[in-house]
Amino acid sequence: MAISKIPSAGFQDNVKFRNIIINGDMSIAQRGTSASSLTGGANSYDTCDRWIFTRSYAGTWTQSQSTDVPTGQGFAKSLKMDCTTADASLFTGDYLKINQLIEGQNLQYLKKGTANAESMAVSFWVKSNKTGTYICEILDNDNSRSISKSYTISSASTWEKKIIDIPADTTGALDNDNNTSLLLTFWLAGGTDYTSGTLQTDWGSLTSSKRAVGQVNLADNTANEWYITGVQLEAGTTASDFEFLPVDVNQQRCFRYYYRINADHNYQKYAHGFATSTTLQYMFCNFPVEMRAAPSTLDLNTLSLYTIWDGVSTRTVSSISYDASGKFFTSLAVVGSGYIDTRSGILQSSGNTSTYIGWGAEL
Amino acid sequence: MMYKLLNKGREESLECILRINDNDTLTVIVCNEEVPEYQEYLKWLEEGNTPLPADGGTVIDNGGTE
Repeated sequence: MAISKIPSAGFQDNVKFRNIIINGDMSIAQRGTSASSLTGGANSYDTCDRWIFTRSYAGTWTQSQSTDVPTGQGFAKSLKMDCTTADASLFTGDYLKINQLIEGQNLQYLKKGTANAESMAVSFWVKSNKTGTYICEILDNDNSRSISKSYTISSASTWEKKIIDIPADTTGALDNDNNTSLLLTFWLAGGTDYTSGTLQTDWGSLTSSKRAVGQVNLADNTANEWYITGVQLEAGTTASDFEFLPVDVNQQRCFRYYYRINADHNYQKYAHGFATSTTLQYMFCNFPVEMRAAPSTLDLNTLSLYTIWDGVSTRTVSSISYDASGKFFTSLAVVGSGYIDTRSGILQSSGNTSTYIGWGAEL
Repeated sequence: MMYKLLNKGREESLECILRINDNDTLTVIVCNEEVPEYQEYLKWLEEGNTPLPADGGTVIDNGGTE
């Protein structure tokens, strides 16, 4: 069969890995599917991988990986924010944001800061009971520049697709490294520190008061909720269809930033090593992919849920810490009692499926 | 949320702090000022808070020679 013509849109849709965003379909949630009591001033990765919730005293929230998705679009999961304690009167510096931080070395083809800089398009599906104006922002972390665009949720509790055009920025090259260069941010609330100016709808120097002008306060009522999925950021002047990736590919991309082993049976094995005294073991584990950087955090459940098995008996675990951390492997220092010097052992779950170990190398 | 000091396994081991989260889960944090979670710990200290002491000495074992 002869192919007479490839439509330009079809060709663009065939460009693999055109979506700069990782886990834009919210399908990967290694840390869990729900996190409650998110409040105060904090930054946290809670459910869907790669999406960080940054907040400053604007209500209390439950974040979840939801199965509420736009009908007929191919999505299975969304990220949901649910207000559980309202804050109808924001202080000047309060804010709520859902962000993805992007490595500079994944952005070099945008040629930002040159005469040949690329335009970008952001597309996503969004739903909220609270209609009105919302702000989507791209922030250049290397050069303190930003651009903010508004979008409108028109119909309450109805999935809507939004497309936002981002003009090329010929100022400010992005660093070619493994640190944060761009942030894609969805504002959910902002105090007057972020809303008192004129919205900066073209690239310019980062100015707080111009970042979220017009943004509704999603924290003003406990009935409020906000869903998002199908987030895509790509080079070009038009948004293409969302690029679905196989789950294993999506998962491997997330592993670069956070790798978690969740117990799937009662004696899940995590790492193996040997004792160097009656109270200390060193335990080693290789990662399935090269991490972005040597992991700097280690997530654990209550230590009584873990044990060391040395082939003869199980031994207690009273402390786990990093001995060494690298992009490819980890060495853990495990403290307990009853260890036999030089005997090998395995760090495992002590008869339950509640344990996990999560290595963090997030931006 | 509370923090607790952690012993090093050996002199060469990474220095870490333990964050005891509100739901009793744990996060070990490498003491590096570029790590956001460690920055939060330093801010917590600046607010006048004090971490729980470690369980024993500063270095448990020299771990032999690699």
